[in-house]
Amino acid sequence: MTQQPTEQPTQRSPERPLTDTATAGPSAGPRRRWSALDVWTTVGPLAVFIALFVLVVSLRPAFLGGGGLAIVATQATAILLVALGQGMVLHVGSIDLSNAANALFCAIVLAQALGSFGGGAIVLVLVIGTVIGVLNGVLVAFFQVPSFALTLGTLGILQAAGLIVSDRTTVYAEDTSLLTPMFGTAMAGLATAFWIGVVLAVALWAMLRFTVPGQSLTAVGLNETGALFSGVRTRAAKISAFAISGLLASIAGIMIIAQAGSASSTGLGSDLLLPGITAAIVGGTAITGGITNPVNIVFGALTVTLIPIGAAALGMPSEAQSLVYGLVIIVAVALTISRRRVGIVK
Amino acid sequence: MANPVTREPSEQSVSTGRRTRPHHRFEVRSLGEVGALAVLIIVFFAINPSTFLSIGNIRTILDQAATPLIVGVGATLVVLMGAIDLSVEGVMGAAGMAFILTTENSRGSVDLGPLSFVVGIAMGAALGVAAGLIHTRLKVPSFIVTLGFWFVGLGIATVLFGTETIPLLPDGGIKAWPNETFLGLPHSFWLAVLVIAVGWVVTRFTRLGRFTYAIGDSEEVARSNGVGVARTKLYVFAVAGACTGLAGILATLRLGAGAPTVGGGVLFLTVAAVVIGGTSLGGGRGGVLRTTLGVFMLTVLTNGLILSGVDSSIQSGVSGAVLIVAIIFAAWPHRSRLRIVK
Repeated sequence: MTQQPTEQPTQRSPERPLTDTATAGPSAGPRRRWSALDVWTTVGPLAVFIALFVLVVSLRPAFLGGGGLAIVATQATAILLVALGQGMVLHVGSIDLSNAANALFCAIVLAQALGSFGGGAIVLVLVIGTVIGVLNGVLVAFFQVPSFALTLGTLGILQAAGLIVSDRTTVYAEDTSLLTPMFGTAMAGLATAFWIGVVLAVALWAMLRFTVPGQSLTAVGLNETGALFSGVRTRAAKISAFAISGLLASIAGIMIIAQAGSASSTGLGSDLLLPGITAAIVGGTAITGGITNPVNIVFGALTVTLIPIGAAALGMPSEAQSLVYGLVIIVAVALTISRRRVGIVK
Repeated sequence: MANPVTREPSEQSVSTGRRTRPHHRFEVRSLGEVGALAVLIIVFFAINPSTFLSIGNIRTILDQAATPLIVGVGATLVVLMGAIDLSVEGVMGAAGMAFILTTENSRGSVDLGPLSFVVGIAMGAALGVAAGLIHTRLKVPSFIVTLGFWFVGLGIATVLFGTETIPLLPDGGIKAWPNETFLGLPHSFWLAVLVIAVGWVVTRFTRLGRFTYAIGDSEEVARSNGVGVARTKLYVFAVAGACTGLAGILATLRLGAGAPTVGGGVLFLTVAAVVIGGTSLGGGRGGVLRTTLGVFMLTVLTNGLILSGVDSSIQSGVSGAVLIVAIIFAAWPHRSRLRIVK
């Protein structure tokens, strides 16, 4: 990684090799001149979140005293986990439309199994989620089908599976004592579950930044043909991206049970797909691949969660909230999206 | 279908070019989709001999297919450029609400008569233009712009819906129009046929259609050959918005009431139909008629499953499985180690 030719950051080459300067670490920092663009790609998602938060707090100071940030962090946890998985799949240039359905399916299975198997049920769910992700990845990598269409199909199958396992009712977990600490305890005022998401985000960032598998993912996302000719195992890279997405989806499922104690096909967590994608993209992820900063996805998830909560706190009429949500999302993305590879925008 | 722009020179230089082409176009793959539809029809007919091919059920299928068919024409154009339009459900809601509030309804807001159809379609086109402008000027990917416009459209519809009573269409009159028949088939289906015909003519014979294929094939090549890429994209998004607006009106007529969620479920049905029909999500390959086949496959599948008494829980699963099998079959002959598929 450190042997990268240090290009001028302002140069916008579509074939730009590896690493985004957005996350330039301490070793790379002194050798690069940071352009305003680089600084913005690094702090943009954080700045957008802070700007929105300050706006809400300045108009409604009670939001700060009433534990507004804690509420946002709690609501953002499942979105964050799904968005991190989505970010990894987007990083290799694919998309996973099934990971939110995967999370809900895992939640339903966990609710069924938690009473009788306890900790074993959690392991079971982690395995199920990962296997579903691997299956998606294998189909995309070996059958060469577009991930958008494939995961759309998986989404339908997982929805049906969720309906069957839950028998179309709400499944209540018999004993959630194992999971109570997730949202029952807090660090620095925010729920433990949210911090687990943050730790995972930092771990993913470190993997992308400092490990060979992580760099392979980046290479596949930036230029798959080039990566293939350079001896990168592109199929393995894609499968692992989908596997991570599945694993994180199952963790999101666990968090749904920890938060609600029950799961149903229409209950908490049934609408994670779009917020998850939006959070990843507001976090500066390029849907063309290769440019993902998992740490910024944390702020993306917080922003996406803050918009409806903040709008409600400001007393906006409920019928206008969806309009505000759509507009703020477009503005936030227009501000935070990576302008590094602006050649062609599809 | 090959890209008509790249095909053009050969047609001019070799006069027999057009005649030899059809042999290439009707590959086994194209027949595959027709065959799959035929198999579905035969299987469901065998399971439900008395009900499936009855006049009543055929009318039901054609009526159910009308809305996704109209949306599918616009969606195909957008996908042919390599872009995607996720906003259809929201735009349908906004257009449907704009339509019902400007026609004769139980809330008695305004009655513009036939002009209300124009209002509804204009609402869809305006949202399409707005999305197209943000996409082309601010260089935000269509995926996220149209995702945002899904919520914007839904928001406009919800604001129009307000907190008053549900606006209902009076019985008879335009409410009954979609289900009345012409030559034995429902009006809604004829409307869809009209839109498909226009869409087919546009993609095959107009500059807009050729440019759409060219942009999907290679945007750089199209731009360097003088195609006004931004303008074409804007037009296509406007056309797609207008189609979606019309679909929103039709869905509102069929429902008989105004509802922001009138387009629920249409997005995934349409995208799946576009892909199953064989239009490439990467752009440049496919066509309107292929999407028509895709819509019919999914509609017949849903209808047949319901008639066969299959539990409605697993219907989405069966549709998903069919989608996966269809794309694997479509991709199989093209497999190659160096092929890049996103």
